[in-house]
Amino acid sequence: MEDNKSEVLQGTLDLMVLKTLFALGPLHGFGIARRIEQVSDGVLNLNEGTVYTALLRLRQQGWIVSKWGTSENNRRARYYSITRLGAKQLERETENWERVAGVIERVLKLQRQG
Amino acid sequence: MGNLRRVWSRVKGQASQGREDEAFDEEIREHIALLEERCIEQGMSAREAARTARRQFGNVTALKERQRAQRGILSPGEWWRDVRFGMRMLAKRPLSSAAVVLALALGIGMNAAVFTFVNALLLRPPQGVNAANKLIEVWLHNPKSGGAQGYLPFSYPDFAYYRDHTRSLEGLMGFDGDGTNAIWNHKGTGEILHGQLVSGNLFPLLGVNALAGRTLTADDDNLGNPRQVTVLSYRFWKQKLGGDPGAVGKTLMLDGAAFTVVGVAPAGFTGLMVGMDPDFWVPLAVQDRFTHDQGRMKDRNAYWLTVAGKMRGTGDRKRVQAEIQVLAQQVYLANSSKADFLDGIVYPLTLVPGPFRGYVGAFTGGLLAVFALVLLIACTDAASLLLARATARAREMATRAALGAGRARLFRQMLVESLMLAAIAGAAGVAIAWATSRLLMQLKPANIPVTLAIPLDWRVVLFAAVISAATGVAFGLAPALRASAVEPARMLNEESQTAGWKKSRIRDVLLVAQMATCVVLLVGATLCVRSLMRANAIDPGFETSHIVVATLDPGSLGYPPRRMNDFYTRLAERVQHLPGVTSVSYASYLPLGTSSNRDTAGRQMPNGPNAIRVNGFRVAPGFFRTMGIPLLRGRDLTEEEADSATPDAVVINQTLARKLWPSEDPVGKSLALGSERTMSEVVGVVRDGKYRTLGEAPLAVVFRGELPPVRTLVVRTAGDSRTLLDEVQREVPAVDPLMAATQVQTIEDYMALPLFPARTMGWLLGVSGILAVMMTAIGLFGVIAYVVSQRTHEIGVRMALGARQSDVLKMVMGQGMRLTAIGLGIGLCAAFAASRLLAPLLYGIGASDPATMTAVAAGLAAIALTACYLPARRAMRVDPSVALRCE
Repeated sequence: MEDNKSEVLQGTLDLMVLKTLFALGPLHGFGIARRIEQVSDGVLNLNEGTVYTALLRLRQQGWIVSKWGTSENNRRARYYSITRLGAKQLERETENWERVAGVIERVLKLQRQG
Repeated sequence: MGNLRRVWSRVKGQASQGREDEAFDEEIREHIALLEERCIEQGMSAREAARTARRQFGNVTALKERQRAQRGILSPGEWWRDVRFGMRMLAKRPLSSAAVVLALALGIGMNAAVFTFVNALLLRPPQGVNAANKLIEVWLHNPKSGGAQGYLPFSYPDFAYYRDHTRSLEGLMGFDGDGTNAIWNHKGTGEILHGQLVSGNLFPLLGVNALAGRTLTADDDNLGNPRQVTVLSYRFWKQKLGGDPGAVGKTLMLDGAAFTVVGVAPAGFTGLMVGMDPDFWVPLAVQDRFTHDQGRMKDRNAYWLTVAGKMRGTGDRKRVQAEIQVLAQQVYLANSSKADFLDGIVYPLTLVPGPFRGYVGAFTGGLLAVFALVLLIACTDAASLLLARATARAREMATRAALGAGRARLFRQMLVESLMLAAIAGAAGVAIAWATSRLLMQLKPANIPVTLAIPLDWRVVLFAAVISAATGVAFGLAPALRASAVEPARMLNEESQTAGWKKSRIRDVLLVAQMATCVVLLVGATLCVRSLMRANAIDPGFETSHIVVATLDPGSLGYPPRRMNDFYTRLAERVQHLPGVTSVSYASYLPLGTSSNRDTAGRQMPNGPNAIRVNGFRVAPGFFRTMGIPLLRGRDLTEEEADSATPDAVVINQTLARKLWPSEDPVGKSLALGSERTMSEVVGVVRDGKYRTLGEAPLAVVFRGELPPVRTLVVRTAGDSRTLLDEVQREVPAVDPLMAATQVQTIEDYMALPLFPARTMGWLLGVSGILAVMMTAIGLFGVIAYVVSQRTHEIGVRMALGARQSDVLKMVMGQGMRLTAIGLGIGLCAAFAASRLLAPLLYGIGASDPATMTAVAAGLAAIALTACYLPARRAMRVDPSVALRCE
């Protein structure tokens, strides 16, 4: 495993998947994995199978729904899209994340004193 | 909310599992294929691409596992495996499985049988009507008086007011709840029919459509212009008219009036009152043709109409209740009478009238409680047998646990087996309930003209299913917990198979509980049965053999009084000359029937507040002789005295004589009756008897003359009363071809009615007691036998070391009897407390009757002794060499 890649933080994958679906509209699992890969610029070490675990979790919460469709290259694929409930959850999670990230940032910026 | 959604998603996942799995697999396959394609595009070799794609995707198997675990509760395949395995395990021990199933089936069956009656009486809406859930009934209630006596049906004027002023009801209908008997004259003979007077809107409101012709309408029921029309019941039309397609339009002679048949009601419709199965329906407006009571429709004090209504819209009973209360106030104010205010109470409509549902519910509820105890014993039976089995299977469980079965998995397996037993028992229980409920209907005296449909409908099946499932969990829990609590390493290492007696605390507790419950049930049952035997032996004050009785109502033919007397005189003469007949007389009605008349009696006119309450009977001369009631003093009434319109002469019973003239001879004294204006002379005193119920304390009674049109004929014969039944029946049309007698029966059959409640109760309790004893014996026997079989090795060792047979016997018996003794002790204390509840039902026996308690304890101890002795004897005969070698 390459050392310069980071593990996905616990619980953040769901948020990333939700945001991806929110931003790009209906996507299949492969598309979601590609998008995250693209955005992370190869920094994240993503086990792409875990995307499906996240999708399953989100679906059980009712935050996303799935529908079978045909992909760009004419293959059968399952498309996921975000629900109203999911959008609300995304909003909550984003706020939460920003709050936590803000705290962490401030903590990390602390100067050594004395 | 989120939790709920997750559970729902799992349930959905369970349902569409196969498809979902496939889709998931396909999704993953597709994903990996796309990754591979991309790698190849980047210039990798096919093998390299496949490896890279897999690495990038991660662990496929783990992913699938996770998906599977998350998605469903359990796969049906696994359940099915458990069921199949359970089946094999049950079949492996057919005897104990059969014992468990039998015990449970009897327990469930008896409960379901009682519930069948609860259902038929209280839960099932009237059949054959539309929108049964919108139907209500209304009763008047006098807030000043308690109990069922406070409830009254309606008078016609009050009913009409409510009917015309209600807004929350779509309509209010009324019918005579007691029904009406009428003589049907056809082909020169008379036959008694049962009819019901109904308001014209009843059929349309209930949505009952005629099978042929039309039903009654509001136009038929016009007080100003009543139509003599009738709708026939399907049963009557089929049985008596042979299903004649031309019946509509024909004329029926009912009580001497011509009624036109306008229609036939559909099969299954029997009206709205429990036990009634009328032959015909006629409008309320023609009631005087049957009751000969011209003023009844205007009489505000004649309460005879049972009233029901259909709610508007969605049916809000509270709104209806509120409105009815307002109407009740209006009626009270409008009448400005001095009578008590009568409130209106609304009930949902079932076959048993609202005010009486509580009593029916209490009675059936009591029975259910008794049989719940039986079921409890059956459960402990099943639990201790399964527990023994679970211990025996400890090795199997240990092996399975060692091979990787989780605790939950083992627990489930055992529970599935219990539930299967319960399911089989439940199915058998429904069959038992069916048979038992029909048997119970046979106990009903033939002379009660009551019909009751007791179907095994979905409510009964649901009830049986629920109690089966509940019992399955109840008795399966302990064994399942025990089985799943194995420690595989220890179990498999230890060679010993001694399922030590000491280890099984739960089983001991179960045995003790079972014994205690059994004592309670048996004490209760024995008390009731003994009290019943006393009740059977009660002297009702008249002879209960060699007498034939029959009811006659020539008033229904519109006879004037003179012709009526003439009819009765001629009938008495003819019957008197029948072979074997020694005397004939009449009474208005007999003691211990459903009719009664109350009055007050005193020594002076008018009766003060401390006048004595008396029951009145109207009798003809010769009544006492015919009924075998001994005349202690004075003489019988004479013909003239009995015919007189005033009670110049009366006969009283001992109790009244003692109360009014404690130290004097009452004959020749003057008696003041509260209902009369003139004094009466006491001409005789007869011995006390039972008048209202068999269990009553002595009542004061006055016998007087002046019989009403409806009379009961009493005939005394020297021979067999049964042979006389037909002959008496034949004499009636011989005097008047248009007349018919009802309820021609022997006095033995007549007595079945007062004895009915005690007989049914005694029968059911007897059955419950026998079942309880049987089940307790099975349980004790099964457990001791099992323990002995488990300890064969140990017993062999003991005997090899010099224990005598009697030592072994003592050891095994000692264990069983110790538990029995504890159970008996607890049981007797509980029974002592519980029997106080029974006290009001018992006749002539104390609730804590020491003889009963002792007999029950001794009997149970003897049974327990036998149940322990049989396995103990086997233990005693253990051959040490065999027992030691079998290891």
